[in-house]
Amino acid sequence: MKLFLRDQWAFAAFFLVQMILLLLIFTLDGYWNESLMIYAVFLSLFFAGAFMVVRYLTHRAIYQRLSNPVESLEELTQTHGNAALSRALDETFLEHYRLYKEQLHAYENKQRDYTTFIQQWVHQMKTPISVIHLLLQNEDDPVAESVREEVDRIKRGLETVLYIARLDRFEQDFIVEPVSLQSLAQNVLAENKRLFIRNQVYPELKVDGQWRVESDEKWLSFVLNQLLTNAVRYSAGKSNKVTVRAYERGSSVALEVQDYGIGIPQQDIRRVFQPYFTGENGRKYPESTGMGLYLVKEICGRLNHGVELESEVGEGTIVRIVMSAVVPTLQERKKAES
Amino acid sequence: MSTIMIVEDDPKINQLLQNQLEKYGYHTVNVEHFDRVMEVFKEIRPDLVLLDVNLPKFDGFYWCRQMRQESNCPILFISARDSKMDQVMALENGADDYITKPFDYDVVMAKIRSQLRRAYGLYAPQEGERTVEVAGLKLFLERMELMMHESKVELSKKEALLLEALMNQYPRVVSRERLLEKLWDEQFVDENTLNVYITRVRGKLKDMGLEGAVETVRGSGYRLRAVWEDGQ
Repeated sequence: MKLFLRDQWAFAAFFLVQMILLLLIFTLDGYWNESLMIYAVFLSLFFAGAFMVVRYLTHRAIYQRLSNPVESLEELTQTHGNAALSRALDETFLEHYRLYKEQLHAYENKQRDYTTFIQQWVHQMKTPISVIHLLLQNEDDPVAESVREEVDRIKRGLETVLYIARLDRFEQDFIVEPVSLQSLAQNVLAENKRLFIRNQVYPELKVDGQWRVESDEKWLSFVLNQLLTNAVRYSAGKSNKVTVRAYERGSSVALEVQDYGIGIPQQDIRRVFQPYFTGENGRKYPESTGMGLYLVKEICGRLNHGVELESEVGEGTIVRIVMSAVVPTLQERKKAES
Repeated sequence: MSTIMIVEDDPKINQLLQNQLEKYGYHTVNVEHFDRVMEVFKEIRPDLVLLDVNLPKFDGFYWCRQMRQESNCPILFISARDSKMDQVMALENGADDYITKPFDYDVVMAKIRSQLRRAYGLYAPQEGERTVEVAGLKLFLERMELMMHESKVELSKKEALLLEALMNQYPRVVSRERLLEKLWDEQFVDENTLNVYITRVRGKLKDMGLEGAVETVRGSGYRLRAVWEDGQ
């Protein structure tokens, strides 16, 4: 309505000026009949008003469209009535919509092809890595050990790439089921045993067998993997312990990885979850990609888990994942306690 | 002796797996033409199949379904694909387990053993007992016993693992890292615990009259020395 009035303001003004002009011409010419003039003015105003009302009614859809914010692309496909202007507008909108969709599809296809390519490529790389891995397994000299270390690094890198590529299609690749935190933590620790041994860091596992959470085992393993890798990397040479623990927090379970390493400077803590952010520690450890914690946050977000981080320079870091527990377990626990 | 069929199109992985399996006393058969998988399968009637997912022509899931129509033998997938969906697919197509590449020999061997045990009974006669031998000193891995001439000692699981590593590498040095890695299964093992196990193994060897058989090599690790041969 407001937009309509603003739009039609000039027309109304023009109409009034014209009416006054006509009245003036008649008056100046010496013709004066008050009642007739009032009648003429009344009639003109009435018809002008009627015109405005009809105009508003037929074009209301357009004015409403133009004065409300567009919330989705699909709104462009709505029709706005039968007036010539409405139809022209509909056609233009539709054309824009079509063009935009086309471009979007082209881009989506490209993106999907690229993701598929990356995934395939990573899988192809796994074959040579498997061969190297197998070839080295029965060797135990320092050279073999050193190659093994590098293979582990490549493996870690490929894994991260794969998970980043997969994140796009997260919805198709996750299954939520009760996951036992103890066996999950044990498996992830065992997977990383070489990393721990090489850095002379030893894990301390404080996770009871009772803790089960609603989650996807694979994604949660990846998250824990990232946290442990960080914990070990930033502990090496300073402390030789990393603690993994689980405990109850309200109706949730918190899974915590605590290291006693170098910690994160205060000014960096806010930003550690941003992609590619490596901060001060990134400069000291060239292997940091800045993707680890970003991925942790992303994945936990999609799994509906909370992530918290506490850190003190020189004291260490705690990263905590807060998940909802599988209900029966908590109830049983409560019952057992009371 | 169990026959294991390997369906894997990467020649190197194929070869390495064959070597490893044969070292542990299994008979292996591999497939050369991937359109004739079923013919080989029907001909040799393997006790267990190691099956890759990505194969030329048809994928492993297809072959797994075909094999299931013929036999109930354990089928283990080996694949680089590690998404949950692939694993579910594998199990739904009739597989018994799924191993993702890159894998450790230890994992493959353990899974093969457990599948064979489950399918053919605990002490299946065709499965030869795994032993490691160094100059007359014999380690029985299933029974966890160490034997030398007539004397015999029982070992704990970790002690057996420790000795297996040392005897496999004989006469080379095994690093402390490597030993820690071997001992670490469900429970991690730290440096102090390793020292304890080394002491225990030395003690048991001493009981057999083999003092000084485990030698410390400073800065690198431990080595088995056939002290009993030096004397002779």
